[in-house]
Amino acid sequence: MADWSLLERLCSARAVSGNEREVRELILNEVKPYADSVEVTPLGSLIVFKKGEKRPGTRLMLNAHMDEVGMIVTYITDDGLLRFSPVGGMDRRVLPGKSVTVGDNVPGVIGVKPVHLLDGEEKEKSVPLKELSIDIGAKDREEAERYVTPGDPVCFDSLFDTSHGMVKSRALDDRAGCAILIEMLRDRLEYDMTFVFAVQEEIGLRGSKTAAYAVDPQAAIVVESTTAADIAGVEKDRQVCCLGEGAAISFMDRHTIYDKEYYRMAFSAAETAGVKCQAKRAVAGGNDAGAIHVSRAGVRTVAVSLPCRYLHSAVGMISQQDYESARRLIPVLAAQIAGETS
Amino acid sequence: MDKLKDLIFRLCAVPGTPGDEFAAARIAAEELSPYGEVRMDALGNVIAHLGKRGAPVRVMLDAHLDQIGLIVTEVDDAGFLHVARAGGADRRVLPGSPVVIYGREELTGVVCCTPPHLSDGSEDKVPEIEKMTVDAGLSAEEAKRLVQPGDRIALYARPKDLLGRRISCASLDDRAGVASLIRCVQLLADFELRCELTVLCSSREEVGGQGAVTGAYAIDPTQAIAVDVGFAQQPDVAPEKCGKLGGGPMIGLAPALSRGMADRMIALAGRMEMPYQLDVMGNSTGTNCDEIAMTRAGVPTQLLSIPLRYMHTQAEVADLADVENTARLMAEYLKEVE
Repeated sequence: MADWSLLERLCSARAVSGNEREVRELILNEVKPYADSVEVTPLGSLIVFKKGEKRPGTRLMLNAHMDEVGMIVTYITDDGLLRFSPVGGMDRRVLPGKSVTVGDNVPGVIGVKPVHLLDGEEKEKSVPLKELSIDIGAKDREEAERYVTPGDPVCFDSLFDTSHGMVKSRALDDRAGCAILIEMLRDRLEYDMTFVFAVQEEIGLRGSKTAAYAVDPQAAIVVESTTAADIAGVEKDRQVCCLGEGAAISFMDRHTIYDKEYYRMAFSAAETAGVKCQAKRAVAGGNDAGAIHVSRAGVRTVAVSLPCRYLHSAVGMISQQDYESARRLIPVLAAQIAGETS
Repeated sequence: MDKLKDLIFRLCAVPGTPGDEFAAARIAAEELSPYGEVRMDALGNVIAHLGKRGAPVRVMLDAHLDQIGLIVTEVDDAGFLHVARAGGADRRVLPGSPVVIYGREELTGVVCCTPPHLSDGSEDKVPEIEKMTVDAGLSAEEAKRLVQPGDRIALYARPKDLLGRRISCASLDDRAGVASLIRCVQLLADFELRCELTVLCSSREEVGGQGAVTGAYAIDPTQAIAVDVGFAQQPDVAPEKCGKLGGGPMIGLAPALSRGMADRMIALAGRMEMPYQLDVMGNSTGTNCDEIAMTRAGVPTQLLSIPLRYMHTQAEVADLADVENTARLMAEYLKEVE
């Protein structure tokens, strides 16, 4: 049975790219009792090494990223409102009206002009970024400056619900991946393995690039959350992957053509584990594999992702069944890869 | 001020979309019952009787209970909920919004948004409501068991304490107004009014004001004050169209309103040294005042508006001081009526 309270703790923590401290400390405390060594890289990624029963034939690194998309305060207006830039691939259509937290703990909302005062054309247009600002209730710049400075991160504030076989939450991308790796670290391992909890994935795979250099693995499994477009009005052939069909295995995305043998091994590992898995059926998106597979002299890499609806919005949705499938598939795949002599 | 905030948060913590105000009505009724005789009527209004029975002047206070929301029109074969608007929800804030669905049980959901990889360049356009769906994460079978056409959906937003005395919540329009009526009644608890006073927490304002129409008919007042929310200054909104947050109640001046009542309130606010602002409208007001004034043979009616930012979104922001001052102004006004 998956540890949903662990996932809730991870999803409640805030870590917009470049500000991963809260999640890092949480993970550090979770993994310490199980790790043989823990190291924080200069950019803030966590490298956790755990000894297995045997020495591996192939040095394997598992990777999930700690950071989430969000926003960053760029300017405080005379009226005490906060202007901001997106951090990571944010879709501006999901921003208006949302509840946010600025910095460590300043509540705010993203306001828009009242719909009653819009002319016909404005009503039909999604709000341009430059017309959005965050209201923290400050009456002027001076009051706002006592609580916020430019550069402060901004996160969505949202619900967490595990009813009816789903998990609905903020930041599932990629706290779900982090949770799976933490749960794996709690169990005994057949082979020595290194677990990386990377920073700054959302702004260009920067944490995993540098961590992979430091770890110098021969193989890598990237545990991610990926877009599931199995929603009303989307044709079957454009859905990428579906909730309830198991973890999604990538053959190619915008950054990586994946190792063919490992891709096949992932499907057979699912069979061995007795769980479903599916191909990620689109050449879209990207993840830390993009940086890891070209690290040093090259690293054979596979990506196992949780299908997630509404990926970069205030509330995403994954299936508990998929989480369980991924949680059972990944250790089997990891042991197979690590056990091979390379 | 903390007590007033708690009252507003209690009122905002429950749903009350148009025609389905019961949960909000029950809270309002509970709050009013220590002060007078409270009943609920056929259309979901809460009516409280106070003051001097049989007095020649009968004043009615009104604020509406309902909030904007969505209504389920169909549960499709993949378990997605198709919706229409109940009241004037702003479509621009819907995609990606967390929601609560009031079906056979309370369910969480998300208003679907097409993932960026499927964008075809038309993302600048806000989809029509008919094209939007709500995802409760249910299988078709479960969705059809738990949700039916006609069930209501409200935008999810936890009530929030902002800086100073400002707060944010999804249904401040018009629970802030309802709170001001309750607060007014609290302020009058130890005062012997010389007029009859009836408090109407009305249903269905956001879909036409049917609650106020029938409530006012039944109450048959000789004058009325309605409290609603008004536009507060914010970027990109012309300052002449709005009041200021924290600037005090907005006293309405419009052909459809009672100028005499407005003048008495303006003078009173001056004597009380209370901040207030004028809210001038060209014709009618777009609030319950328009209906109340037309009740039976006609009722002199005045509008007080609580300044509010981001109206009809889940991010509505108001200032507690404005709610308190609106209540104080009404209480002092009522003390002078005979």
